[in-house]
Amino acid sequence: MATTYIIKDDEKTKKWKTPHGELYIIKDRCKGCSFCIEFCPKKVLVESKEFNAKGYHPPELQEDETKKCINCGFCAMICPEFAIFSEADAQSKDIAQIPEKEYPIPESPKIPEIKKARDVLTGEHFWNGDVAAAEGAIAAGCKFFGGYPITPSTEVAEHIAERMPQVGGVYVQMEDEIASIAAVLGAAWGGAKSMTATSGPGFSLMQENIGLAVITETPCLIINVQRGGPSTGLPTLVAQADVMQARWGTHGDHEIIALAPNSPQECFDLTIECFNLAYKYRTPVLLMMDECVGHMTERVVVPERSKIHLVDRKKPKGEPGKVKIYEADEDLVPPMPYAGEGYNIHMTGLTHDERGYPSTIPETQERMIKRICDKIRIHADEIIRYEEFMLEDAEIVVVAYGITSRVVKRAVVMAREKGIKAGMFRLITLWPFPEKKVRELAKKVKNFLVVEINYGQMVLEVERCACPSKVHFLGKMGGSVHTPEEVLQKITEVTK
Amino acid sequence: MHEVEESPLDAYLRADRIPHIWCSGCGLGIVTGAFIRAIQKSKIDPKLVSVVAGIGCTGRIPGYLNFDTFHTTHGRAIPFAIGLKIAKPELHVFVISGDGDLFAIGGNHIFHAARRNVNITVICVNNFNYGMTGGQVGPTTPEDARTTTTPYGNIEPAFNLPYVMASSGAVYVARWTTLQPRKILDSILEALQKDGFSFIEVISPCPTAYGRRNAQKDAMETMKFYQYKTKVKHGADPKEGDISLTGEILTGKFVDIQKTTYMDRVKMLVEKANKKGA
Ligand code: SF4
Ligand code: SF4
Ligand code: SF4
Repeated sequence: MATTYIIKDDEKTKKWKTPHGELYIIKDRCKGCSFCIEFCPKKVLVESKEFNAKGYHPPELQEDETKKCINCGFCAMICPEFAIFSEADAQSKDIAQIPEKEYPIPESPKIPEIKKARDVLTGEHFWNGDVAAAEGAIAAGCKFFGGYPITPSTEVAEHIAERMPQVGGVYVQMEDEIASIAAVLGAAWGGAKSMTATSGPGFSLMQENIGLAVITETPCLIINVQRGGPSTGLPTLVAQADVMQARWGTHGDHEIIALAPNSPQECFDLTIECFNLAYKYRTPVLLMMDECVGHMTERVVVPERSKIHLVDRKKPKGEPGKVKIYEADEDLVPPMPYAGEGYNIHMTGLTHDERGYPSTIPETQERMIKRICDKIRIHADEIIRYEEFMLEDAEIVVVAYGITSRVVKRAVVMAREKGIKAGMFRLITLWPFPEKKVRELAKKVKNFLVVEINYGQMVLEVERCACPSKVHFLGKMGGSVHTPEEVLQKITEVTK
Repeated sequence: MHEVEESPLDAYLRADRIPHIWCSGCGLGIVTGAFIRAIQKSKIDPKLVSVVAGIGCTGRIPGYLNFDTFHTTHGRAIPFAIGLKIAKPELHVFVISGDGDLFAIGGNHIFHAARRNVNITVICVNNFNYGMTGGQVGPTTPEDARTTTTPYGNIEPAFNLPYVMASSGAVYVARWTTLQPRKILDSILEALQKDGFSFIEVISPCPTAYGRRNAQKDAMETMKFYQYKTKVKHGADPKEGDISLTGEILTGKFVDIQKTTYMDRVKMLVEKANKKGA
């Protein structure tokens, strides 16, 4: 392994000479593995008698006339602790070193920028919810989609696959949903707005990495076009039974933002809104569609580009290298550096401090959890959106979201025709739950009726907040939507 | 011998985190050092170096490197790296992770990454077991080896990593042991010169969880085992690279070819979609 060098003066005679190395050691780093001692080609290192701070014997130098360090550098390379190294001594410094080789490193091809990209298709369209959501994403500037086909979300992926290259973005069909969400997070750190779309089984597979997005504060969008479950359940038929999974699907304490559209128009609008929320609060955001909304086709109006409000990341203000990448501003949201900007980011799914360094100190965990939860909690009023329908004088509030809200609206009108003062409270934001508003309503109204396509999920939240009012429930296990008559019958029953 | 406080590697280490968590004699520090030296030699802009890892002892390497580093979930370093690379093609994206992380829980991803020829370099540190969880059997554990979950000896055959990577489509495949740090360094430089999916396996001692259960009482014995059992054979058929408990370890560069990369194809696709009349 020893390297020999030519001494300049001897170049003519081509006489080979070996240089001599000076050795340097950081004693307290040594863990006493003896690799440097054993594998030094000149055997000039021995174990010393002294103990370092960790209780190991660091090596020491023992040269004599027959053996001298030749500055081969092997000890440095074989030391697992970065504890030892050699440098040419004063005399050997004159030795002409073997010239450093050049290493031509190729650059990967860049994705061509598309001038005048058709990213905002201003005008009127006849789209289904899946396509509208895909167009919303493109209008929001999404440039990366990692996906895996799953009914009933496939049309999102198909439409994106066609449209993404037109705007200089990339659709990658990954090998599964876990890969999809992991790639989405990677893309976000590379500076691309990124998303995926899936349904129940895929959503389950994504949960761990949604947790990674939460703890690493990675903005991204996950669309779940809900179908009946558990497991493979009803692949082609509607349900709203993942709404609690949306809230608590990934392990550990966290807050999440989840929205539920009830029309293709809202699929478009709320997809943009989701990206804005993701970047405003540096967090993953869920768009909880359902099969009916995903597959229903309606008029969608795409506004002019200038009318679309977009939120970008908060860029770190400090100098690269000096910024602690998880130091939050007053709004509890830290600015987001991207890879390649010189910030020496360390992103980890481990509990970490403001530098991003892993920590096992309970106080750090406490600080981190509180901040990533509170950054959503303190902004709940800004985040939450809902629709009130005939609530002013309502004596019964029917709570619904997604496709169910369209049926409920009809039922409320029918109830009014019968003289029952019904109203609808539609959740647009599922999470954070609009508890303040429900508490307010509960002060005025005695009866709540929650209608959803599951066996009782959001009703638990309403029960939590609507005290002392009575909370009734009209569920459906999935596969079909309630009829207005069913809802009307229940309204009549509970208001009797 | 002079006592100093800093090593020349510290510029690319998060020196405030050294000493690292790895056991005495663990090979991960050697791989870390070789990686830093390769980056220094390559003269690429350190700003553009991104290192992604999964979970495990090897997964902790990025945490000590002063580049942009990403410590993701178990097994998912590869797809994360793919997203990162596509979003910012000018980055040099590396995945450094362990054998269990990349080939058991993450197995699905690495094969597809090689198939796509995505422009990343993967360094897999293979210590034949799950070290961080205390030494359980993994997809590279040699037959008959003892681990905490194979107390009677491993009954399963092991993956030959260069062979599976070569057959999945990698354009550069090499294998070394931690006793060949210069080769590791050179290999990383060679891999960097390939714009495609390159794969380097580094066989590394895990004295704490694996070695001592398999007749190597400490890391030194493992390193000496490498010294006597390693064979270097460039261009060898990776098929011959099976590793047994006490047999030879075939090292060398097995694959070095050129193929259209994933980013080439993405570029062509975007151009195609934007051609007039498309
Ligand atoms: S540089 Fe290190 S390994 Fe090489 S001869 Fe000197 S002491 Fe020995
Ligand atoms: S190789 Fe490093 S850690 Fe091992 S004995 Fe030498 S100086 Fe100490
Ligand atoms: S358990 Fe094994 S792999 Fe992990 S740090 Fe210790 S020696 Fe290294």
